[in-house]
Amino acid sequence: MLAGCKYDNYEEPQSTLSGTINYQGQAVGVRSNAVQLELWQGGYQLYTKIPVYVQQDGTFKAILFDGDYKLTYLKGVGPWVTKTDTIAVSVKGNTVKDFPIEPFFLIKTSSFVKNGTNIVGTLTLQRVNTTQSLEAVRIYLNKGTIADSNINLANFSIAGSAIPDPNATITISVAIPSTLSANDYLYARVGVKTTGVTELAYGAPQKVALK
Amino acid sequence: MLLVAFSACKDQWLERTPQSIITETQVWNDPNMIVGLLANYYERLPTDMGLDGNWRNMADYDDAMWSGYSGEDGRNNLTNYATSRWQLWDYGLIRDINLALESIDKYSTTLNTAQKAQFSAELRFIRAYEYFELVKREGGVPLVLKQLIYDYSGDATALRIPRSKESEIYDFIGTEMDAIKDVIGNTGSTTRANKYTTLALKSRAMLYAGSLAKYNNLLPAPITTTGNEVGIPASMATGYYTKALAAAQEIINSGVYQLYKGTPDKGQNFYDAVCKKGTTNKEVIMVRDFLSAKAKRHSFSYDNIARSIREDNLGSSCVTPSLNFVESFENLDGTAGTLKTRTADNSDYIYYTNLSDIFNNKDARLAGTVIFPGSSFKGLNVEIQAGVMVWNSATSSYTTNTSSVLGSAFTDGKLLTGASGPHASIQEVTNTGFYIKKFIDQGAGTSTRGILSDTWWVRYRLGEIYLNAAEAAFELGQITVALPLINALRERAGFPANSLDASTLTLSRLRNERRVELAFEDHRIWDLKRWRIGHVIWTGNTTNPDNMMYALYPYRIIRPGDATRDGKYVFVKLVAPRFRAPRFFQMNNYYSTIPQSAIDNNPLIIKNPFQ
Repeated sequence: MLAGCKYDNYEEPQSTLSGTINYQGQAVGVRSNAVQLELWQGGYQLYTKIPVYVQQDGTFKAILFDGDYKLTYLKGVGPWVTKTDTIAVSVKGNTVKDFPIEPFFLIKTSSFVKNGTNIVGTLTLQRVNTTQSLEAVRIYLNKGTIADSNINLANFSIAGSAIPDPNATITISVAIPSTLSANDYLYARVGVKTTGVTELAYGAPQKVALK
Repeated sequence: MLLVAFSACKDQWLERTPQSIITETQVWNDPNMIVGLLANYYERLPTDMGLDGNWRNMADYDDAMWSGYSGEDGRNNLTNYATSRWQLWDYGLIRDINLALESIDKYSTTLNTAQKAQFSAELRFIRAYEYFELVKREGGVPLVLKQLIYDYSGDATALRIPRSKESEIYDFIGTEMDAIKDVIGNTGSTTRANKYTTLALKSRAMLYAGSLAKYNNLLPAPITTTGNEVGIPASMATGYYTKALAAAQEIINSGVYQLYKGTPDKGQNFYDAVCKKGTTNKEVIMVRDFLSAKAKRHSFSYDNIARSIREDNLGSSCVTPSLNFVESFENLDGTAGTLKTRTADNSDYIYYTNLSDIFNNKDARLAGTVIFPGSSFKGLNVEIQAGVMVWNSATSSYTTNTSSVLGSAFTDGKLLTGASGPHASIQEVTNTGFYIKKFIDQGAGTSTRGILSDTWWVRYRLGEIYLNAAEAAFELGQITVALPLINALRERAGFPANSLDASTLTLSRLRNERRVELAFEDHRIWDLKRWRIGHVIWTGNTTNPDNMMYALYPYRIIRPGDATRDGKYVFVKLVAPRFRAPRFFQMNNYYSTIPQSAIDNNPLIIKNPFQ
């Protein structure tokens, strides 16, 4: 008996390009569903970009055919300096290629504790590119691991003008909202906003026990 | 031998006139055919919302949400706006008009010079209007003013026109309007462009250019391209604002148009200013008209009329105004329009004797734009009540009762849930507690699919011209020029004369006037874009009250023995139950992407920022 006609006789791509957006080896946390890179492959009639979506922990993955690609920035999208740099990457089987960036402000360390009815975050910043000033430091709470400026159940912001020394340890606290207070745990995350840059750079989300 | 009879060939069988082809020579020598072409070109001018076509977009921003057929509930769940949402690249229309302009000169022998000049002026009006729609959405675009004809030589470089600067397109619109305004004729027409229509388009376009020049450069990181295909230099703002003010004032001072004030009830008067057809309405400058007698109708009333007064067995209630929008209407004493539902110490509700009492002493434009609880339309009461609250003296609290049967009665025999809702989930019933009134037809049967509606779509009216002039004057520092214009619009809406003075007319108040006056007339999204506040207001955050659409649910109180409360009404504010994703406007929404096919065809086309 003949197998059904296969109209699509083109093999699907199998090779994986994965990597992390990082600064000096440290991954940069970003807002979920927001940041992209562009992947281009020359030599074909259809010359349009392949968007590479970056997860909130700074990692990305694309499934491609083997070949030579160029990985580049999507202008203005991401808490770093937009450059015209292109990284050439040769994809063959499973390829790992990190994407180094130059950030403005980064979350160097962050930790959280429950203090009464508040969550208190302690963090340190790292400043790399100094062309833009510090606009704010923010804390976000959510039920699950994804917590950022758009997805959160509680948030609090300290303006940059209220932070005299960006190099010192900063504490920021936010009240636990009623929607979370009955749970066993929640997730907290801090982000730093640079003036003139739309996206924040985030730390890692951390689980905080409530009971 | 067979005798074969040949019938003679019909005379001139091969020279018959075709019944389905019209030649250029025929068109350009027949004024009626030219008017037919103009009608086609006017119809092709794009809008972001309207009474047909993309009317549902009214529910995509913050003035309204979707309460209709559940298949469109995606409009209550827009996690962001696509970068291609407002994409436009209709060079087909541009080419048709360029061809028309060349053909009038080439083929027309029977038209006299004045007729040719008049038709050419009108064609240039439509072309400049289209370029305005293009530059609003895409920034500077290739300025093509003649036919581009390929010679099949294999070299297409002559056809590759680069993008003009954003300012150059606005300048083009301004100079075109100046050039045609005295030859365009059509005096007195509201459907074809005349001198004042050219001034209206100019005042709006110059105002947009001025605000882009000013507010783009106030962003921490202005949105520009290196060649200024996107990005107007800040130094050009004053020039544009001056032109906008002059064009608007020429219309106002001509006396040809007046703010409509013919109806005694101020709410109904505002509705009439926009919707009343006929020559008594001297406010409208240009409309897109419909006419049932000629079978040009639309179903906006069928789709959006309040549920309990719908005349068909389906439809109604699709675009429903939000509480956010309703609260933007000020009180007549000048205080902010936030509705008072709780006592100052938040210990109890405020009890209203009548449903409409909570809306007393408000800007009359609310009553002209929105159907709220306790109001009526077409002489019929629109029954809006979410449910009842029964006092339980044992627990000292209310028990809320609602029903999924619209218009049902409670155990006390009186109304439980109104025939017009609101209801948390039933489709084609308001989810916000409000219905739209502006543009809904007051004629009998016009909300049926059999009869349909022919209310017109207003493109330009004097109310907007007042706002254009006031904003331009304000930005130029001429607040004494701006004040009488804003106060005139407010006085028409029931405010006392001179309700604002130099200290109380702030920029945010001016912008709010524009919102409440021109709601649902395709202005808000463009205003937020040119003021560069879209990303500031709609941040995609569920905890930001500007991003979520709110509702107002009225409840009848059942509390026997308490005469100050029993039988009265209270109101509850809540996030509209069908509304899901907070509105989210991002930097890459200020300009839409350019179609990839255009970039593939013409490598000179610079992509828009964030594309």
